[in-house]
Amino acid sequence: MNEQRNWFNRQIRTGWTLLGGGLLLGIIGVFLPFAVDNLPFNSRTITGLGILLIGLGTAHLVRYNAARKDPKMAGRLMIEEKDERLQMIRARAGNRAYWVSAVMIYIGLMWASFSSNGSLPAISPEPLWYFLAAVVILPFGVYVVSLYNDMKIR
Amino acid sequence: MKNRIEDFRNRNDWTQQELADRTKVSRQTIISLERGHYNPSILLAFRLARQFGVRIENLFIYSESEEEEANE
Repeated sequence: MNEQRNWFNRQIRTGWTLLGGGLLLGIIGVFLPFAVDNLPFNSRTITGLGILLIGLGTAHLVRYNAARKDPKMAGRLMIEEKDERLQMIRARAGNRAYWVSAVMIYIGLMWASFSSNGSLPAISPEPLWYFLAAVVILPFGVYVVSLYNDMKIR
Repeated sequence: MKNRIEDFRNRNDWTQQELADRTKVSRQTIISLERGHYNPSILLAFRLARQFGVRIENLFIYSESEEEEANE
């Protein structure tokens, strides 16, 4: 019972940390352009990350606070989070996502190498931005799809 | 790997959720095990065998030909 309570408290703390961090980043992202002239980057990237963290933190708090009121459900939730099959599925999804990001970064590196000696055209900032965004989003997509597929009970 | 989890569970008149709670895994894991889609860790195999009061080799049926097929 103590283990369960400690685990839940840890999850609630994580939720608050995510929420707090998200709020902080969101506020920084909104007010940074007013505080610093000619920012060398778009501050919306910081705000976006903040919004993502706020969403994750809120989801965490809602999920674990709701379960905490029902000891039976809380026990099951803890067991499901520590479930060995789920951990294996997560590890497998992470492995797939890692390889996708590694391949994309390798392609980017090769392009940069070849463009430096003129074999390939240099990447202008806009396509580079989209490429880097894809390097972040695509592995995450692979992770989510992999989780979804492997969690389906055949 | 084939197993007799469903057979032993039915003998004890337990639901999948009851067995999951007893062995501290999710119900989905029990379903996957029963369907032979997931091979458990040695620790879970021991926990399952202990719940049913049987030896591991009575619960899980190992066959070399199946392993060879999986490796091909």
